[in-house]
Amino acid sequence: MQKARGKGKSARREEAVYRALADPTRRRILALLAEAPRSVGALAAEFPSISRPAVSKHLALLVEAGLAVAEAQGRERVYSLEPSPLSEVVSYVATLDAFWAERLGGLGAHLDRMAREEKA
Amino acid sequence: MARSIVHEVDYPHPPERVWRALTDPQQIGQWLMATDFKAVVGAKYEMRAKPMPGWRGLVEGEVLEVVPQRKLVYTWLGNEKGPLTTVTWELTPTATGTRLKLTHSGFAGLRGFIAYNALKGGWGKKILREGLPSVLAGKPVPSVH
Repeated sequence: MQKARGKGKSARREEAVYRALADPTRRRILALLAEAPRSVGALAAEFPSISRPAVSKHLALLVEAGLAVAEAQGRERVYSLEPSPLSEVVSYVATLDAFWAERLGGLGAHLDRMAREEKA
Repeated sequence: MARSIVHEVDYPHPPERVWRALTDPQQIGQWLMATDFKAVVGAKYEMRAKPMPGWRGLVEGEVLEVVPQRKLVYTWLGNEKGPLTTVTWELTPTATGTRLKLTHSGFAGLRGFIAYNALKGGWGKKILREGLPSVLAGKPVPSVH
């Protein structure tokens, strides 16, 4: 049922997100944008071994995947992080972490119960 | 191995009792999930619970390591779209019982990278403050520019 629902538009968007995230430079760009919005120039300065057009290309892909948004500020385009496509992956680990915390509490209660049963 | 979920808990119970709770399918069913688990290296298992939005209610995996009363390792596929992860249980006897350490690792892939950074604050505290509570409440994450 989950699978059937995943096939349409949202699956394609998800693929675009993962494709965008597959590249270490783009991941580094996202990490920088997470700190603060940055212009193409400011981003390019962080990657001295990559040409500015190449950085722009990476940014275009991130925008396409919905992971970054561009805004004109004066003569520059300033990019910022758009975290909502990340919600699914964030929720996966966060939910799992909370799940284990809860279950480990349950394990404690279960162990107490077993101890009482063994005594009885 | 930094990209992991780690929990350490002290239980006032001997390692033998904790070990049984971790390996006996009947007992696992009482605190974790209904399962056909067998603590035998190579044995495949399934754990089932009530499906929830975003989760089909099934975990699958295979036992990788069994050191009675000391260590138990199995793979954990909790979501067909998620990464294949690894759950490691380590038991250490203490003066008062057992220290149990759970390490859930394998989030080093793409999703892992994102999730790990998000949880560690690498994406900025704003996401954790505003995004995570919404995610956990099942609401769409507000955009935070």
